[in-house]
Amino acid sequence: MTVTLEKETCTTVGKRVPRIDALEKVTGRAIYLDDLKFSDVLYGKILRSPHAHAKIRKIDTSKAKQVPGVVAVVTGRDAPFRGGEAIRDQPFLAIDKVRHVGEAVAAVAAERKDIAARAIKLIEVEYEPLPAVLDVMDAIKPNAPLIHEELHTYPHMAIVTVSPHTNICAKFEFKQGDIEKGFRESDFVFEDTFRFPTGHHCQIEPFGAVVQVSLTGKITIWVANDAPHRLRKDLSDAMGIPFNKLRIISPPYMGGGFGGKGGLKVEPACIALAMHTGGRPVKIILDRQEVFMASLTKHAAVGIVKTGVKKDGTILATHAKLYYDTGAYAEKGPTVTVHGCESGVGPYKVPNTLVEGYTVYTNHPVAGALRGYGLPQSSWAHESMIDMIADKLGIDQIEMRLKNAVEEGSINPTRGDILTSVGMKECIQRAADAIEWNKPRPPNRGVGIACEYKATKTPSGSSAFVKIEQDGTVSVITSAVEVGQGIKTILAQIASEELGIPMERIAVTSPDTDYTPWDASTTASRATFHMGNAVRNAAKDAKTQIFALAAKAFEVNTDDLEISNGIVQVKNGSKKMGLSEVMKGKWKAGLTILGRGTYYPEIEGTMFSARSIFYMYGAQAVDLEVDRHTGKIKVHKVAAAHDVGRAINPTAVEGQIEGGVIMGLGTGIFEEVLYDEKGKMMNPNFRDYRIPTAVDAPKIDSIIVEAFHDEGPFGAKGIGEMTLVSTPTAVGNAIYKATGVRLKELPATPERLLRHIKQKQNHGTSE
Amino acid sequence: MVIFLKHVKFRVNGDEKELDASPTRSLLDVLREDLFLTGTKRGCDGGECGACTVIMNGKAVNSCLVIATELDGSEITTIEGLAQEGKDVHLLQQAFVEKGAVQCGFCTPGMIMTAKAFLDLNPNPTEEEVRNALSGNLCRCTGYTKIVEAVLTGAEEIRRLKH
Repeated sequence: MTVTLEKETCTTVGKRVPRIDALEKVTGRAIYLDDLKFSDVLYGKILRSPHAHAKIRKIDTSKAKQVPGVVAVVTGRDAPFRGGEAIRDQPFLAIDKVRHVGEAVAAVAAERKDIAARAIKLIEVEYEPLPAVLDVMDAIKPNAPLIHEELHTYPHMAIVTVSPHTNICAKFEFKQGDIEKGFRESDFVFEDTFRFPTGHHCQIEPFGAVVQVSLTGKITIWVANDAPHRLRKDLSDAMGIPFNKLRIISPPYMGGGFGGKGGLKVEPACIALAMHTGGRPVKIILDRQEVFMASLTKHAAVGIVKTGVKKDGTILATHAKLYYDTGAYAEKGPTVTVHGCESGVGPYKVPNTLVEGYTVYTNHPVAGALRGYGLPQSSWAHESMIDMIADKLGIDQIEMRLKNAVEEGSINPTRGDILTSVGMKECIQRAADAIEWNKPRPPNRGVGIACEYKATKTPSGSSAFVKIEQDGTVSVITSAVEVGQGIKTILAQIASEELGIPMERIAVTSPDTDYTPWDASTTASRATFHMGNAVRNAAKDAKTQIFALAAKAFEVNTDDLEISNGIVQVKNGSKKMGLSEVMKGKWKAGLTILGRGTYYPEIEGTMFSARSIFYMYGAQAVDLEVDRHTGKIKVHKVAAAHDVGRAINPTAVEGQIEGGVIMGLGTGIFEEVLYDEKGKMMNPNFRDYRIPTAVDAPKIDSIIVEAFHDEGPFGAKGIGEMTLVSTPTAVGNAIYKATGVRLKELPATPERLLRHIKQKQNHGTSE
Repeated sequence: MVIFLKHVKFRVNGDEKELDASPTRSLLDVLREDLFLTGTKRGCDGGECGACTVIMNGKAVNSCLVIATELDGSEITTIEGLAQEGKDVHLLQQAFVEKGAVQCGFCTPGMIMTAKAFLDLNPNPTEEEVRNALSGNLCRCTGYTKIVEAVLTGAEEIRRLKH
């Protein structure tokens, strides 16, 4: 295979190259949104709804407008637009109705932050409270209060099917084989229900935006958004203005995204204000409570799984029903549901499957993408179920998984396509070995495992330019966003490898939609694969142009040429010349070589509708101990094996795994967004919504499995999303081994665990 | 509302600073908004995330919790002032680069300042001590593994330099 050859010859790809942004970051010189300074800037503040569901009877802004230093006060009627990636259901500022506590109702721009904060308190809003819907299963009942009466009128993505006059904003079905026949032929059929809690991204950098509306009507937005081009498209759709009247500029760095910093967040209110300030820029930075209540959460979900097996553990049929609580607006909820469903029966050769997914409105804050994209929820259901079945059949959990796991050439159990580049079994085996699966353990200690496969959004496109400067240095120009994952370094490595130019001569830009070409998004673990391919193609194009010049200068064929360490040479070494000299030889007064590259997978369909261009595979095993008296969990070790196709930078891959695992332990053990009976978030801060600290983090064995992908850049696939998908479920499975308690809801807080331990002691069952 | 300002003199990264401080503002506000030292990050404004950690009179503090009027006579070091005379980076910063301890980088300055103040007191710590010392600094990207490695490596390098 060609990729194998490439692995042998790579000089930069596959190496532990230090991140190209590390020095800036450790010295405090890296620039994030709030570090940018603007002349004559105004500060915006948003007034938020205290009600989960209410009609807005009247808004009186007159007192706020009279406050000295206030420049603009806006409500929904001043910017009557609706946005939303999957369904265009979300007003820039509430119009007529509020649908969650924390929803933006009005906004003020003022000369100083304290003036804006004071002014919003003077805005008088008269509400008529409506019954709130605060549970996903209540929301789908026939008589549930409607959250969006006009659902059937909203424009939406091609793959979305709405259920008019209900709270189900999207439903999906994946089906293979004959599910009823599968159950009939099974020796045993198991069924259970699993609940997954609401979570939060907790990016350490808060959300913000700066918007300037020029007097010609051009809107410029500085924002750390994970998809600048998608943001431009969404705003264009919402506002009916052309792409080139919208400019999105990414600050050089984003302080963590995890899927949360996409779509329309602070931008709409900030745009609404900036349309009324006579060209003065408006800056809004959310405080931490607003980040919790009014940016995005991770979907709470209910999963009902029914699985039919033979006595020997062969899975014959799986029927999964997944209900995602998407909150007040659809956001990415429908596509989160698609991916959760696609992986809804797990990475197993199940011949008969039916997965039904429901994206459901409630009066909770908006839920959307959070690392894993619907899979932590579906995994919690089907991977808990696999362990329960193995236990009933008396089969070892690893054996049960290896027996059923997909391998090269297997049929994707939900979509029916043929799987290639499949490292599933190796992941399971290596995670099991690293955690010493069969080692006897003392009482109250146990190991658990969970495994998964995941699609990337397909089809989607990326473009890149590779600019060769007159001095032989290189700029890689793309709209991929450095969210912390290291994409700038990865793209520099790929360009360096393809061009034969050392890393230190390569710079990678940040997105600016006026200058950097289209990229679908830096999400779905797609950047290394899609943008990596685009950059590689652009580098090839640039190289062709360099060779054309050098071939003339050397009087040889282009086929005889190569570039190594930035020197263009005839392959037999007879003639060589620096890149800069090659360019100056032709263009004495100076010119630029511009390589162009695109990547768009050759797969028919609209976004998210098609089989994935690649699938990632992973297995994680957790070794933990439970204190039976306190319910407290001590995690001793996590072994995480992930098939990434090819690790362009192993240190970066390990970093992704380590970060995802700790986030996953947080999800499994203590993170949960809590609401009161009126739908108000009760723990919107780091004291009460505790995320893991250095003390909570155990030893992690990061294991990189490389099942090369034919179409990936140098064989690479992706990693980021996969790294926390299995962790919470592996925790649950380990708790069962340690205590005999089978949790069907998360997180495994000491209170919850203790309650189940006591129940089990008293009644012999934890249910 | 009448706000009484207090004239304060203090040093930041060795430079003398003077200003009329308001009790409604924090050291973090002063650093970021008056002195344009934006390397110190604002994550929560409530002393919970540690992103705004600086060294004040030899101790790591959450600068969002220090009231500006308390600054008189104090000595502040921020991430911008950490590198020793004539060097671009401090050994700890170098260790963070080499160990791959940086991802999004937003927690990094605070994390490094906490580690610096800690190593000044405990130059030869165990891994557990490092983890405890860093427990007030939240990181959502790295899982802490490489950060802890970097602090231990940095400690070793600092000790080596002193001998």
